[in-house]
Amino acid sequence: MKMPPFQLHSPKSLEEAFSIADELSSSNREFDWVAGGTDLLPNYKWHLNVKPDVISLAGVSELTLLTDTHIGAMVRLHDLAESENTHSLVSAAAESVASTLIRRSATVGGNLCLDTRCFWFNQTEDWRESIDWCHKCDCGTDADCRVIPNQNTLCVATYQADLAPSLMCLGATIHLASKDGERSMPMGDFFQLDGMTRNVLQEGEIVTHVTLPDDVSEWHGDYQKLRQRESWDFPEAGVAVAWKKTGGDVSDLRVATTGLESIPGYHEEESRLVLDDWRGEESVDLLSESVRKSVKPVLNTWFPPSYRRKMVKVLTRRACSGLLEDSK
Amino acid sequence: MWMTPQIPRVIRIQDFRGEKLGEEDSDEMVGYRQQPGKLPFSKPGSGGKNQFSEPRDESSIPESQGGSKAQPWGDHRHDEIVSGRVIGKPTALVDSRWKVTGQAQYGDDIRLPGELVGRIIRSPHHYARVLSIDASKALDLPGVLAVATGQDATSAFGVLPVTKDEHAMAQDKVRHVGDLVACVAAVDEASAREACRLIEVEYEVLDSIHDMRDGLEDSDLPIHDRGKYHIGESNVQKRVFQEFGNVEDMRDSMASHSSDWLFAGANHGFTEPHAVVAHWDPSGRLTLYTPQQVPHYLHRALADVLEVPMHQINVYRTFVGGGFGGKSDPFPHEMCAAILARKTGKPVRINFDREEVFWVNRGRHPSRIGMSIHSDSEGRISGIETDALIDGGAFASFGHVTTYYNGVLHTAPYEIGGFHYTGARVWTNKPASGAMRGHGAVNSRCAVEVGLDDICEQLNVDPIDFRLANLLPPHSSTITGFRVTSIGMRECLEKVREASGWDEKFRKMPLGRGIGVGCGFFISGSGLPIHWDPNKFPHATVHLKIDMDGGVTIHTGAADIGQGSDTVVAQSVAEVLGLPLDMIRVRSRETDTSPVDLGSYSSRVTFMNANAAISAAMEIRAELIKATSEITGAPEKKLVIGDRRIFRKDDPAVGVSYLEALHKSQEDRGALVSSGSYRTPPMGRVHKGAAAGLAPAYSFSAYVAEVEVDVETGQTKVLKVWAAHDCGKALNPLSVEGQIIGSCHMGMGQVLSEEMRYGRTGHLINPDLLDYKIPTVHEMPQVFPIIVESNDPEGPFGAKEAGEGPLLPILPAVVNAVYDATGVRVSELPISPDRLYKAIEKKCRKDGVSSPTEMKTPRISHSELQEKIVERGKSHSERDIERRRGKEPSPYHNGALFGLDPEVPGDEQDSRWTAVVTPSEEYLESPGLAGSAWKHVERRKRGDSQ
Repeated sequence: MKMPPFQLHSPKSLEEAFSIADELSSSNREFDWVAGGTDLLPNYKWHLNVKPDVISLAGVSELTLLTDTHIGAMVRLHDLAESENTHSLVSAAAESVASTLIRRSATVGGNLCLDTRCFWFNQTEDWRESIDWCHKCDCGTDADCRVIPNQNTLCVATYQADLAPSLMCLGATIHLASKDGERSMPMGDFFQLDGMTRNVLQEGEIVTHVTLPDDVSEWHGDYQKLRQRESWDFPEAGVAVAWKKTGGDVSDLRVATTGLESIPGYHEEESRLVLDDWRGEESVDLLSESVRKSVKPVLNTWFPPSYRRKMVKVLTRRACSGLLEDSK
Repeated sequence: MWMTPQIPRVIRIQDFRGEKLGEEDSDEMVGYRQQPGKLPFSKPGSGGKNQFSEPRDESSIPESQGGSKAQPWGDHRHDEIVSGRVIGKPTALVDSRWKVTGQAQYGDDIRLPGELVGRIIRSPHHYARVLSIDASKALDLPGVLAVATGQDATSAFGVLPVTKDEHAMAQDKVRHVGDLVACVAAVDEASAREACRLIEVEYEVLDSIHDMRDGLEDSDLPIHDRGKYHIGESNVQKRVFQEFGNVEDMRDSMASHSSDWLFAGANHGFTEPHAVVAHWDPSGRLTLYTPQQVPHYLHRALADVLEVPMHQINVYRTFVGGGFGGKSDPFPHEMCAAILARKTGKPVRINFDREEVFWVNRGRHPSRIGMSIHSDSEGRISGIETDALIDGGAFASFGHVTTYYNGVLHTAPYEIGGFHYTGARVWTNKPASGAMRGHGAVNSRCAVEVGLDDICEQLNVDPIDFRLANLLPPHSSTITGFRVTSIGMRECLEKVREASGWDEKFRKMPLGRGIGVGCGFFISGSGLPIHWDPNKFPHATVHLKIDMDGGVTIHTGAADIGQGSDTVVAQSVAEVLGLPLDMIRVRSRETDTSPVDLGSYSSRVTFMNANAAISAAMEIRAELIKATSEITGAPEKKLVIGDRRIFRKDDPAVGVSYLEALHKSQEDRGALVSSGSYRTPPMGRVHKGAAAGLAPAYSFSAYVAEVEVDVETGQTKVLKVWAAHDCGKALNPLSVEGQIIGSCHMGMGQVLSEEMRYGRTGHLINPDLLDYKIPTVHEMPQVFPIIVESNDPEGPFGAKEAGEGPLLPILPAVVNAVYDATGVRVSELPISPDRLYKAIEKKCRKDGVSSPTEMKTPRISHSELQEKIVERGKSHSERDIERRRGKEPSPYHNGALFGLDPEVPGDEQDSRWTAVVTPSEEYLESPGLAGSAWKHVERRKRGDSQ
């Protein structure tokens, strides 16, 4: 299948990129940003929300810096996973993404901004025509959501990217920029509950990098992922857990999930509850159960939602296994 | 450069440059003494690259011919023509270099000057009447050259002459989402796509059927109308009833297994999507380039649909990027390309997207199979009862045959007391099911082998010993009358038992680890040619042509689909003529030059085509021997063929080079040509449906799989597979091992993760390779292929099939291993983690444990019966060795194990044994699910037919 034609712009600096974006905006031309292209281009091949212009960030060298606490948006997932500077919780998530070939292309920024997925949506044009389209790509028909019919206000497509929960657990800050300047926020605030809006990015704005706090090396953690096959498949559920210890005691604990709703989940309340009264394995069980209860997957990915929910409990417990071992 | 030999009395000795080295007694005709490997060939040379003839490889010459190759399974009719050159040696496929260098031209690689791009307009509805098609806007679009609709081709076609229910494009109705409505030809893809959008089709949407059970009921508007042959007003396309043996007593048993299986549909998942190019040349002939498994059937269908004589059509088979049954129907898009090309006068190419591959499908039928197995107190299989309802989707395809295969292909390898089979195939508004590797046998085989595991559990006996004590002997007849020749089943079981360490592992491993066994039985070529009387025309014909250069051109219609059929035919000819493979060239692509071959399906190619090739080569061989005899004066009977040299067996120094003999044969007439063909022998019984499942030989296999199940997530990982397959004789062991490993991969997909999943609205929700979960290299276990060679008397050099049979055992082996690991017996495939987890939760509740990690796994403590069946297995083993070696073993009909006379079929000697192919009224009072298809009366028998 041929990709629909689009105009590709290849700026060499951020400044140039923003000026191209501004130009396009002012002439009312819709555009997409492309980083590694492993998400956008397959969607384009399926004629999903195709734009006439695409601005590639591949030539923008300002975005590729990688240190202990700074991860540029254009860092390739392969390099992130392989780098000695990368926190083990981040590399665990990075190296579980898709396949080697895809990780060589895919980027950190692209992964964080991954489009949400749904089996009513990620289909060819002919297929989507046969279901009379859907809310996320209605082709001007004002079509209903096919997952939960009779509502066309919210898109429930699932966010199936791996990096966000690990970064959230490590207290990452995400940095955005546009021609109007820069802004930054905690990773959790970046996402916006809707499968179409997905995040706070404004037109012409991009993710430039992610920073980790200075104490990141004191945090330990694990990322657990549910999928049918050990390669290629997007996470059907993903749980990252990070903890910090002082003198053998758990002093801080964070849990975040992905692959379950339209945005990643940050389970602050659930972790605080058990942290206040830490009782080892019992607490882990409690935590796992409360995380399971807090997620609400829908039927739009490979595994049924009831199973994914149950597995969140298992994954949480498994992600905590290092925590318990360390406690002994 | 070369060692100075002890020169005997020699004339005309030449070195590599052709200079004369010595000459004596030039008038004396004694120049034909030469030892292999010691002197270069004299003029006219050898033919091959190597100047020296290699000595005979005695280890490849059978004992019966004085060689040292052991023949534990007896002699073979082809022993005499073995030259020891290529057969049985691991051989790279003759076309492999084309593939690895990227020079192989697949369907999508064909580019003709000025070709147009064709695209198909497909139905967005499951079931609808096409009211009108308005193409005017599309035709106004610049770059669009033609639009075609169903009116351009009104003739029906279908792979089976009895069920022609397809058309190039919709005639009045569309029957599934993706069904063809119209097609366009344009100068490029963008214009073609745009034209598709501009074509306005008006539909009247009809009530569609998605659940195969609904297909059994009467319908206001059945998906097809078969006129007077229509079964009631239902969507039943085909129904089968078979009752053989002592059905009355079989249910009165010591142990019984019963389960209701649900198998999801599977797609072949070949790498290359369909692609076709049609070209009407200036002389008015059509050449159709297409990756086809069965060019001949396409050839016939094209003639029907285009209404031109067959001789006006040349079907050109491109390289085929995987078929597995998915490229073995004549397809509507092939017709569309030809129609558009005729309309525009230009070549037209149609390439499929992956989603279109799923829409044309022809994959494994979604099935509901009720399986009951009974065992008596002696540990004999007193009966198998199968009720198979299969979901055909919108068209018949091979389904007529599939409906039989789901039953008749499990009447072996075991000797059984009774067989009761009801099968029905229904139309539904889904992409059509068809033939897929292991056609029709895979699902019900899985149900049988899992049932046997359960029976053994109930009887407290070892499942391998149980199988060994219930096998049919070589050269026997099954309960429905299949003639089975060589059987290597016992050896397969014995070898996997030993290699896997079965006795130390079975029922002894901790929770989450398990081991299981499964067997398989498959046809080695369908005995019945679909289009003609088997006693009149051959199944396969091979032509050979050898000109003065000595190279052999093989013309064959056998379709190499990557399985290596070109290599096998080349090997067969090379072996008989004693030539290296580089002197053989295979021309198998075009129907213009290839003699008719039925194609690559039903695992028939090696058996039939290699036999035909051998016959053709034997004619040439006889010519060469005659010529050598004339030159050397040695009697023909004393002459044998070695490496490019024909010589006296008792005095290898006397002989001539291949080219000398060839040129002698060519005197007065030029190039040698020969033709060989293969026809199946008459066999089988005469009841309705007796021909389905008949084959000139059958393959056997036994696998043991070891798995690891994560009981907390339900995820299953297959760790190791010991895979023994009886292919009669491995003509190319490299290919056979490849087929075994590939079969494991494909079967593992079906058992663990692959399914065509239909959503709430009846749409296929995963028509792409991200969501259709084919196992990756990460999921592949270590496979230990074990080749068993039972030396089939009619197979080429003893060979039988190895392409499909090896897929069968992996499914039940994995299912049984999962049971060993968890105590959970699944009856729904694939065992995706969510399904298995559900079953694990159920077992936890049953066991009264709160966590899966506390589940009990099955253990075994042998009953008294164990010893008895081990003894029986041993005595049967002796019986079988005796029978396989015997020149003409006495008749053995299924039933002897139950005390009947082996010389006569059961129903001819015991009134309790029956052979019935229509249901009784009593049965119809409470039929099985598929059996209920027999409640309908065919229209012509109802008295109200047209």
